[in-house]
Amino acid sequence: MYKLTKKDWEISENEVTSKELFDNRRTFLKLGAASVIASGSIMEALAKEKMPIKNLKFTEDPNPNNLILNTYEQITSHNNFYEFTTNQRKVKDMAHTLNTKNWTIKVDGLVEKPMTLDFDDLLKKFALEERIYRFRCVEGWSMVVPWIGFELSKLIKYLKPLSSAKYIRFETLYDEQMFPDQKNKVFNAIDYPYVEGLRMDEAMNELTLMAVGLYGSSMPKQNGAPIRLIVPWKYGFKSIKSIAKISFTDKEPLNTWQKENPKEYGFYANVNPKVDHPRWSQARERVLGKFFKQNTLMFNGYEKQVAHLYKGMDLTKDF
Amino acid sequence: MKYLLFVLFLLPLVVTSYELFILQNVNDPIKYIYTVTGVISTVLLFFSICLSMIRKWVNLIKYRKMIGLFGFFYAFLHFLNFTILDAQLDFSFIIKQSLDKPFIYIGMIAFFILLFMAITSKKNLFKKYNKYHKLIYFALILITIHFVMAQKSLTFIQFSYIILILAIGYFKLLQQIIKRNTI
Repeated sequence: MYKLTKKDWEISENEVTSKELFDNRRTFLKLGAASVIASGSIMEALAKEKMPIKNLKFTEDPNPNNLILNTYEQITSHNNFYEFTTNQRKVKDMAHTLNTKNWTIKVDGLVEKPMTLDFDDLLKKFALEERIYRFRCVEGWSMVVPWIGFELSKLIKYLKPLSSAKYIRFETLYDEQMFPDQKNKVFNAIDYPYVEGLRMDEAMNELTLMAVGLYGSSMPKQNGAPIRLIVPWKYGFKSIKSIAKISFTDKEPLNTWQKENPKEYGFYANVNPKVDHPRWSQARERVLGKFFKQNTLMFNGYEKQVAHLYKGMDLTKDF
Repeated sequence: MKYLLFVLFLLPLVVTSYELFILQNVNDPIKYIYTVTGVISTVLLFFSICLSMIRKWVNLIKYRKMIGLFGFFYAFLHFLNFTILDAQLDFSFIIKQSLDKPFIYIGMIAFFILLFMAITSKKNLFKKYNKYHKLIYFALILITIHFVMAQKSLTFIQFSYIILILAIGYFKLLQQIIKRNTI
């Protein structure tokens, strides 16, 4: 018998807000805000949280696992974005040089029709949804982020790769005017453009997201505006930022960190507490904002959804 | 002068504590403590061996013990950060990591050299053990390797530090050769 099953993050019909209510939410919010503005305390609390103004339309994630979200401030002030600097605290102040206007993504390789995608068109083409995911960096820190985006699988279906395409390869924008470290030829932190890749079945997994925002608002520049990849069961470096090119290929792409240091960073980069980094243990993680550490979960807690992708593989070798 | 140096060397600890506990604006406290204590300790220890090179301009030789002990103090905080916050006093974990990972055991060896030097810096013990205090050079080499290994990638600033360290090493060596030849 065929049974219709709901995904972990899907909400039941009766929890969905009706369209009228949703469309009227601004009026509703204004009324609500007006009634509390006198007391001021809530406004003050909102200001303290430094929440962004929501500008994206999306279906909310009911957060069935009750993950505790990191604050907007934490998510947007601790960033690895080597195109600007290796200093995580400084990226936020430097990222203004990134210009995302008229952003396009070039698509080539083993695909029916190579083309150039317009970012604004993508937003119209694909309905956005919120996905509250754990995010684990190979350096040992982690956070929980309410991303907004659409499944990569939907984009791939739209792009129609050839059946010979086994991998998808991404590139971050290369523009020396926008990214100061790309101008450094001798002492640059890493080789540019930044490259990442996924096996096609990983890319088609329903967890894999093309994220265009977080906390209901467009992607902050320091977090990889305007569009980035999110692969929640892999270390953060797989989630490439500011994507400017997508290629379909039949060979495993050599990703940036594997190229930099193949002993320490592999192609798969699955979060795995049992496989240590050569310099430090991966068994625990530091959640941003916390003093103590917590245990890291296999596949970052997404074992149920992705473990089957790696059946029969030796993850100590294919790390 | 002594008090001035004392306050100066305590300043990083005060600023760090203020940021961590009062402002609470640090996203990744464990990493932040590693960085601050590691950097301050390294700078102070290198500074302590440079005193003989700069004595013509400023003579701080008589504060060498204090500077060295402050260097050890920050290394000790670095060590505590590893054992208490990072490893959460899981001793089997600490020992396993210390034996397995070059990055960790290089740091550990350097730390125990510093610990030995700190203990034997007491006047009566110093007389007996001062010849072993030359181990500081070995510790500094280990600290430099540890520092380089801690980086995910080396950028211009880090290359500058390494060049500075090599320059200090070169001048120290030169100083030793001159000393030996004049005796």
